[in-house]
Amino acid sequence: MTIAADAGGRDVVEPWIRAASPSHVALLDPDLTIAGLYNVRNVPSAFWIDESGRIVRANDPIYVLRRDRATGETSRNETYLNAVRDWVINGSSSKFLADEAALEKRRPPATFTGMEAAANFELGVYLIRHGAAARAERHFDRARQLAPDNWTFRRQAWSLSGATQEAIVAAIRDPAAPAFYPDLDLGD
Amino acid sequence: MAASASDSLITLIVNGNAATGSRAQVRGDDLWLPLDELPAATAWELKPEGVCQGETCVPLSPSQKAAILGDETTASWFNFSEFARLIEEPVASDEEERVWYFGPPGWEWRSRSAGTAAPDFTAPDLAGDPHSLRELRGKKMLLLFWASW
Repeated sequence: MTIAADAGGRDVVEPWIRAASPSHVALLDPDLTIAGLYNVRNVPSAFWIDESGRIVRANDPIYVLRRDRATGETSRNETYLNAVRDWVINGSSSKFLADEAALEKRRPPATFTGMEAAANFELGVYLIRHGAAARAERHFDRARQLAPDNWTFRRQAWSLSGATQEAIVAAIRDPAAPAFYPDLDLGD
Repeated sequence: MAASASDSLITLIVNGNAATGSRAQVRGDDLWLPLDELPAATAWELKPEGVCQGETCVPLSPSQKAAILGDETTASWFNFSEFARLIEEPVASDEEERVWYFGPPGWEWRSRSAGTAAPDFTAPDLAGDPHSLRELRGKKMLLLFWASW
């Protein structure tokens, strides 16, 4: 199942979903509520959920296909795909299942501060959708101050407010910034 | 405490639902709602047993009652900010656009992020058909979050 955590909604995600023509269920999350529910802090992020509805891996930074900017070559992330295959075959005895401590680290319990960040982010999105884009920035800033490790909020805000590529790259490369992606850490 | 002419209308977003044209007033840092607007704008209503939404009732102590309903004998205003603090709802507001956003209550955001059970949700696909996580129970699932940006 895929979740489009994108405030641009149907208009912007439809071409991608049509092009992929997926056989799986592909859902829309324009208010990023499902992303919030799973404490997703950047995309892409993948979860494994077992047959009983338990999360057994959380918030893995996953590109299955990756295009090299310099050469234009596309490569598959075989390391991750092999881990998925192992889980499919071996289930609960797969060596790739995360232990409780790793799960909690990847998906820490929600905090009031984190929820305040989400409230400010949602308010910013509402203001942009209702013709008050000039006022949205301060609430996106507040969300960033409250939840500095939430790149989903920051990247979505950049997309909505039309930030320049230079500004985005500088913010991501800022040595003081929290890690853009966690390590994949397959624990093998 | 009648609304002054300078007060323009307020938009209230509670539980993701926006109610525009509210006669709510900002007093200090708090948002006060006319009591008669409370059910339609917030889905909460004042009952003898407390502040209720469906089966859920939040009882109020005398001091909470005074803080939320003021000290008038016949309460006609409801301090929704004070109530939000009581039930641990996150709040964000924009004074210029006069929009107030209230997030979910503490019991909701605490429970949904605890433990390893995958939180259920329902969301539409491109065709607008709703799907929930529950439908796929019994299968292994790879749940992938992505965005166009």
